[in-house]
Amino acid sequence: MAIHPAGQRRLGVLGLLSPAYLWLTVAIFLPLSAMLYFSVLSDVPFGDTDWHYSLENYRAFWENPVYATLLWKSVKLGLMVTLVSVLVGFPCAYVLAKVIRGRARETLFLLVILPFWSNSLVRIFSWAIVLRGNGVLERSLNAILPFEVDVNLMFSTAAVVIGLVHSYLPYVILTSYLGLQAIDDSLIDAARSMGAGKLTILARVILPLALPGVLAGAVLIFVPVVGSFMEPRILGGRVGTYYGTVIEDQFVAVFNWPLGAALSFVLLAVVLGILALASPILRKAQT
Amino acid sequence: MSALAYRTLGLIWLGAVLFFLYAPILVMAAMSFNASEFYQLPFRFSTQWYARLADNQEILDAAARSVLIALCVTAIATTLGSMASIAMFRHEFRGKRLLQVLLFPPIAIPWLITGTAMLIFFFGVGLGRGTPAVIIGHVALAIPYVIVVVTARLATFDPTLEEAARALGADAWTVTRRVTLPWIAPGIVAGALFAFAVSFDQFVVSYFLSEPGDSTLPVLIYTAIRKGFTPEINAISTIIITLSMTVMLIAARYSKFGGDR
Amino acid sequence: MAHVDVTNLTKTFGTFTALDDVTMDFPDGGFFALLGPSGSGKTTLLRTIAGFLFPDRGAVCIGGQPVSAVPVEKRDVGMMFQNYALFPNMTVADNIGFGLRVRRVGAAEERRRVGAALELVQLGDLGNRRPHQLSGGQRQRVALARAIVTNPRVLLLDEPLSALDKALRIDMQIELKRIQREIGITTIFVTHDQEEAMTLSDRIGILRAGRVVQSGPPRDVYNAPQDLFTAGFLGDANLLEGHADGTHLVLTDGTRIELPVRPGVFEAFAVRPESLTLSADRPRGAGINAIPAVLRQRIFAGAMATCIAERAGQSFKVVARDRDMPDLPENGEVWLSWDRDSTLTIPHAS
Repeated sequence: MAIHPAGQRRLGVLGLLSPAYLWLTVAIFLPLSAMLYFSVLSDVPFGDTDWHYSLENYRAFWENPVYATLLWKSVKLGLMVTLVSVLVGFPCAYVLAKVIRGRARETLFLLVILPFWSNSLVRIFSWAIVLRGNGVLERSLNAILPFEVDVNLMFSTAAVVIGLVHSYLPYVILTSYLGLQAIDDSLIDAARSMGAGKLTILARVILPLALPGVLAGAVLIFVPVVGSFMEPRILGGRVGTYYGTVIEDQFVAVFNWPLGAALSFVLLAVVLGILALASPILRKAQT
Repeated sequence: MSALAYRTLGLIWLGAVLFFLYAPILVMAAMSFNASEFYQLPFRFSTQWYARLADNQEILDAAARSVLIALCVTAIATTLGSMASIAMFRHEFRGKRLLQVLLFPPIAIPWLITGTAMLIFFFGVGLGRGTPAVIIGHVALAIPYVIVVVTARLATFDPTLEEAARALGADAWTVTRRVTLPWIAPGIVAGALFAFAVSFDQFVVSYFLSEPGDSTLPVLIYTAIRKGFTPEINAISTIIITLSMTVMLIAARYSKFGGDR
Repeated sequence: MAHVDVTNLTKTFGTFTALDDVTMDFPDGGFFALLGPSGSGKTTLLRTIAGFLFPDRGAVCIGGQPVSAVPVEKRDVGMMFQNYALFPNMTVADNIGFGLRVRRVGAAEERRRVGAALELVQLGDLGNRRPHQLSGGQRQRVALARAIVTNPRVLLLDEPLSALDKALRIDMQIELKRIQREIGITTIFVTHDQEEAMTLSDRIGILRAGRVVQSGPPRDVYNAPQDLFTAGFLGDANLLEGHADGTHLVLTDGTRIELPVRPGVFEAFAVRPESLTLSADRPRGAGINAIPAVLRQRIFAGAMATCIAERAGQSFKVVARDRDMPDLPENGEVWLSWDRDSTLTIPHAS
C-alpha cells in the first residue's frame, strides 16, 4: 500500500478544490494585492518610467478635498438609494410573503427578481429613453394630465437614484422575502390571540424577526451603489460625477493607475469596513 | 381599515413595483419597433432597426464575441465550481469555513474595484487586456455563483447514497458519475445558466479588461450610449434583455423545480 | 463467507474516543448484533469494519486477511443502511445490479443474478419500478438484495429496520433471519433495539463508551449480565440494595434474603421484573424470597401488565401476563416474591 487511504482521500479533496480556488487567487486575490502594491507607487512600473514607492496617492486623497467630497457624495447616494429601496421593497416583500399564497406567489416572486438577473446596463439605458426631455414619461404625463408639465429628469440626481433603485430593488425584496417567509404564521396568530393589534404585531413581532434579512439587503445594495459609475455616467450627465466615475477616469481617461489604485483601495476599505460591521447580521440572515 | 382594504392596498403596491420594474424595459422594447429615429410618437411599427442590426458588423462581432466568451466561461466555471462543491460536500476539513468565506469577495466587492484590480494585475504579469483576460475575470466572478447553486442542490443529496455505492465496490469516479452527478444535474444546469448570465451580462469587468475594437456587447453598447442613443442600440438591447431573462427563467426552473422526483 | 476479527481497535474523533481498545471476534456464518446506547461506538465499529473509517490503532481482519488499510470499495462487504440509500435515479433492477456492473460480470450474468436476488427477497416482478414507487418494506428488501447479490464476505446492517413500523418490522425480522440462514453469510448488525437484537442474532455484543462490556449468546447475556449497565440495558432489572453475607443478602433495612449458590464473587444483585410475583399474602416455600411492599400503580398494556410497587423508598417493577397479575388495590400492602435462583448475580457494579 503506497498511500494510506486517508492520505489518498486528502489528495482527492485537494484535486477537486484547488482548480477553483487557484483561479480565484489568480483573478481576484492576487489582483487585489497588486492593486495595494500599485497604490504606493509614484508611476506605473511598465516600460522605462521612473517610479518609486510613495504614499503620495493616499496623500492626494487627504489633501485634495475633491476626492473626499466625492466619496461622501457617493456614500450619500448609497444611503439614499438604500433607503428608498427598503421603503419600497419591504412592503412588497411582505405582500409576497404573507398576503399572496400558492402558485401566484411563486410566479410573482419570480417576476420581481427576474429583472435583477438581466443586463443592468440595458436596464439603465431603458430609463434613459423614458426619462429624457420630450421622452416617454413627459409625453405620457401630458397625455393624462389636463395641464402641460415639463418633466426633464434626465441628467439629474433624481434620474441616477431612480436608475439605481431600479437596479437594486429586487435585492432587498429577495432578502426581506426570505426573512419574512421564515417567520412562522403561528407567531402572528399567537400575538393576535394575546390581543395585539396589527401595528403592534408589525412593530414587535414581524419587524424584529425580519430585520436581519432587511439589513442584509440594505448592505448588498449600499456596497455596489457606492462603487457605481456606469449608472451616474448614463443618467447623471454633468451632475453624474461620483467617486466611482473618478476611479474610472483614472483607468480609462487620465491613465493615472497608481492614483486610481489608491482611490479604489480607499473604497475597498470603506466597503470591507461596512461588510465587517454587517457580517454578524449577514450571517444571521443566512440561517 | 378592514383586512380586505389592507390586502387591496398591498396588491396595488406590489403592482406598482412591478410596473416600475418592467415599464422602462417594455418602453425600450416598444421603441425598438418604432419607425422614428428620435422616438417620435405616434408609434409606427417597423423592424428596420433590427434589419440595420443585421448589417452592423461591429455589433454582430461583439455579440458573437460575447456569446463565445460566455460559453467558455460557463464551461470552465461550471466544471471548477461543481468540483469544488462536491469536495466541500464530501469532506470535513480544517479551513472549510474559510474557503466558503472566500467566495464572498467576488460577489460582494464592487466590480469597479475587482475590475480595476484585474486590469492592474493582468498588465503587471504581461497578459494585458483582451479576450483571454476577460474570460479569466468572468470565470472568477462566476465560480462563486456556481458553487452556491450546486451546493444548494447537494444539500438535498443523501450522502449515504455515495457510501452505498462505495460499499458495492464502486471507485470514486464511478460513484461520482453514476450516483452523485445524476442527482445534482439540475443544480449544475442552473449553475451553468447563472455562469452564462454573469458573463453575458457583465459590463464593468469587461469594460476594464476588453481591448478597444475588440469589446464585448455590453461594452460596445456603453460606448454607443455615451456617443448618443440610436434605435439600433435599442434593438440589440431588447434582444439581450429577452435572452438574459429567458436564461434566468430556465435557471430558476431548474434550481427550484428541477429536483423534485 | 468469512469470519471477522477486530483487535485492539481504537478510533478517536478530536477529543472524543469512539472506540477504545475493542477486540472482538465474529464467527463465520454467525448473526452478530452490536447493541448499545447512542454514542457507545457501535456504529463506529460497524463503519470501521466496513472500511468507511480507518482505525487509529488496531487491526480489522476479514477471513484472516488484514484489511485495515483497504477502503470500503475494495473490501467486498455488503452493507445495508438505515435509510436504505437506494439510488433514486435507477430502477430496482439497476439498484440491485449496481455492484455486479461495477464488477463487470456481463449483462447476462447480471440479469440472472439480479433475478435470483429478487426471488430471494420475494420481489420477483418489481425490477422495473423506481425506489419511490415502493413501500417501506419493499425498499428494505431491495436494499437487502442489493447488499447480498455480489456474494460479499460479510453483511453489515446499520439499524436496517428502524424506519419500519412495528408490525412490518417483526415480519422483516423473520424474513431477514430466513435469508441470512439461507445464504449463511456472516452478518453484523447494529441496533439500539434490544428486543430486535435478541430476536435476530445468535450472539450479541454490548457496547458502552467505546468499549465492549459483554458479548455472547443473547440468553447468556440476558441471564448473566456481567455488570449493572448490561443488566439494565438488556431488559429491565430491579436492583437489590444491600450487602452480601455468605449465602444471604442483607437489604438496607435489615431484611435477609437468600442468594443462589453460584461460584464467584459478586458485587451487585438484581431481579428481573418478570421474575417477580405479586401477591396479597406471603408465599412460602423452599428457596422463595419474599419482601413486603406497597402497590403504587398498575399499568395495563394488552397482553401484559406492569405493576410498580414501592419498598423503603425504592420502586420495583413487576411484569406478568395481565391475566396472571392479581387485581390488588392501589396503595395497599402486597408481597413481592421470587425464586432464589432467578436472582441476577453481577460481578461488577460499575
